[in-house]
Amino acid sequence: MDLGVLIQILVWGLYAGCIYILLAIGLNLIFGVMKVVNFAHGELLMLGAYAAFWIYTLSGVNPYLIIALAMILLGIIGVFIERLCFRPIMGTGKLNEIFLSLGLIYLFQNLVALLWTTDSRSIHSPYSGVSVSIGSIRLPLDYIIIILFTIVFLIAFQLFMKRTTLGRAMRATSQNRDAAALMGIHVERMDMLSFALGSALAAAAGGLWLISGQIADPYMGSIPAIKAFAVIIIGGLGSIPGAIVAGLTLGIAENVVPLFMQSFVGLLGVSMSFTAWKDTIAFFILIIVLVIRPTGIFGEKGE
Amino acid sequence: MTIKISEVFGMIMNKKKGILFAVLLISALIAGCVQPPEAEVKEIKIGLVAPLTGGASTTGTDMWQSAVLAAEQINAKGGVDVGGVDMPITLIKGDTETSREGGVKAVTKLITEDKVDLLIGGFSSGITYADQVVASEHKVPFIITGASSPVITRRTDIDTSYFFHHCPTTDDYPEATLLFVNDVVKPRIYERFNFSADRPLRLGVLYQDSKYGEGVYEGIKKAIEKHNLDMEIVSAEKFKMSETDFRTALTVIKESKPDVVYPAAFLNEQTLIVTQGRKDVGMNTIYLSVECNDDPDYYTGVGRWGEYSIQESRFSPYAIPSGPIHEVVEKFKEDFKNRWGTSPSMMGASTYEGVYVAAEAVKNAGTLDKKKVRASLAELEMPQIIEVMQKGVIAFSPDYRESKFELYMEQLIWNETAGETRPKIVWPDSIKETDFVLPDWYEPGSP
Repeated sequence: MDLGVLIQILVWGLYAGCIYILLAIGLNLIFGVMKVVNFAHGELLMLGAYAAFWIYTLSGVNPYLIIALAMILLGIIGVFIERLCFRPIMGTGKLNEIFLSLGLIYLFQNLVALLWTTDSRSIHSPYSGVSVSIGSIRLPLDYIIIILFTIVFLIAFQLFMKRTTLGRAMRATSQNRDAAALMGIHVERMDMLSFALGSALAAAAGGLWLISGQIADPYMGSIPAIKAFAVIIIGGLGSIPGAIVAGLTLGIAENVVPLFMQSFVGLLGVSMSFTAWKDTIAFFILIIVLVIRPTGIFGEKGE
Repeated sequence: MTIKISEVFGMIMNKKKGILFAVLLISALIAGCVQPPEAEVKEIKIGLVAPLTGGASTTGTDMWQSAVLAAEQINAKGGVDVGGVDMPITLIKGDTETSREGGVKAVTKLITEDKVDLLIGGFSSGITYADQVVASEHKVPFIITGASSPVITRRTDIDTSYFFHHCPTTDDYPEATLLFVNDVVKPRIYERFNFSADRPLRLGVLYQDSKYGEGVYEGIKKAIEKHNLDMEIVSAEKFKMSETDFRTALTVIKESKPDVVYPAAFLNEQTLIVTQGRKDVGMNTIYLSVECNDDPDYYTGVGRWGEYSIQESRFSPYAIPSGPIHEVVEKFKEDFKNRWGTSPSMMGASTYEGVYVAAEAVKNAGTLDKKKVRASLAELEMPQIIEVMQKGVIAFSPDYRESKFELYMEQLIWNETAGETRPKIVWPDSIKETDFVLPDWYEPGSP
């Protein structure tokens, strides 16, 4: 395989990995603080994409500038979801939480379909036709922007979690909810904040995904959500560095492994397509990680 | 006072007569209030099987609106003459909820509770494959206007004799598309790049891992064989339904050096294939597209990346074939817009025709007897309506009861006013609007 093509594929993998990371970190944050597995997290991505679409359509400004607005909007929606849906059932059993989040999937999908139909929505980035050439390699500017955006988000997120009182309070709640409450931390407020932040990160993922050329429809969240779950399980439940490593690994593996497999069987004289095996590869990695290290790469026992 | 036995008997008899008279009188009065059974049947009940909710609800709603428009037009003209009695058409919704289970539930309800006379619709081959079993068991005529798999009328595990396929199949799309490529695209490529006439055209295929995608791929192979086309499939890559990242598959296809790429994909997938293929992978080739993507959302989504790509079609939101049906199509689009405020889609167009086909079949049968309506459908021959049909008539083939469409090819040309591409019909010559253009940026496969 040509080296230029390989580098190009690695960049696509990094871009896909960035979207997974943003989604998975939000999911991980909610799980870490609230110990709730939000199966409707993909629908927050979908709502984020719709928020970005409508703000862009109504304002017409550079779509990258509206990501912040979409994040704020989804953060507010996240607060409402936490207060109205999850808080009343917290502590009543895991099954209730699971079925509630499954119900939210259908609620959001049908609500969006009712409000805006199932028509596809798209945003054309102003940099859609712009590429950065490095030698013979052409890298679309949008992907480079998305990778840089994600790096900035991650640095800001880490600073928030490590250097601010609120961030430390969230980490304390994540480590031991009862002890955090005894130390005077308002744990319910931390729940609300984690859901707002998680939703905002999902909005960033959805908005950036749409700007990069993807299509929004009410059902777009399902597949990214499955990938985000794979990412947090591979990385370790509750682990932010784990989500980053696993997100990048998954994004790159999905793009590179089918080509390697195709080349490998080609050497054996067999012509076979592996490009439809992307999801299989993701879950194959998941199984291997779970067999070798059941808590995930960065996971801790008991989580 | 003494009463004779005979008098008592007589009184009893009179009493009995009185009761009998009263019963007869009440019966007569009730009978006068209730219509006789024959008079009850004064409407043609048509069940519309469509995804009115769920993932394909936009298409389902369009099918419903088109069917309503057709029924209203027929009813406004006095209904359908059924054996001398004018009957209006009553449409009943059968929502498949875009799922197989929902389809079975909807068809069962339409047949057993609503007692429909015919069924129309059936979007998605997978769903129709499941729900047609119920229609087959009850022997209800079903005019299928939205499922593309030829298997629907060819399967042997159920009695398919009541099914009539009024939309092109996955065998039809590639046949028309590849004939166009062979007749128009190939000569232009070979002329510009001085390729030898005995060099086969190199075809890359990217198809959905589903009945639909595999059907198109099989159709491509069949068409090449049937017409002995000098084409070589240099790569055939599969992808999972609803996939969003085609870059790896497109890279593999690019490495096989195709002259033309034929994706068998749904709208969202096709948009991403063309965009990623040109923008990310740099594969500057002619992309072909299956008819289901001839939709306003596709033109908006694909943007400038779709310029000069080819769209196979039979009913377009933006193009109207020149020729005899031009005015009728314009009128239909105008009527639809006036009635619903939006534009009709391809599935809506065939469903609209489906109602007219049903009305004609019932009229010819002169009865609502399902067996006779089925026979009438089998013998039906009526003029084309808003889609161009082969030989200008709607008729079902005697073997698999498929109507045959005259499919056409459009090329997407940039429209500055719309800020999007718009399709222009480039084939066949009889209805074309303009000539095919091989863009300057086009790059062929290996010499």
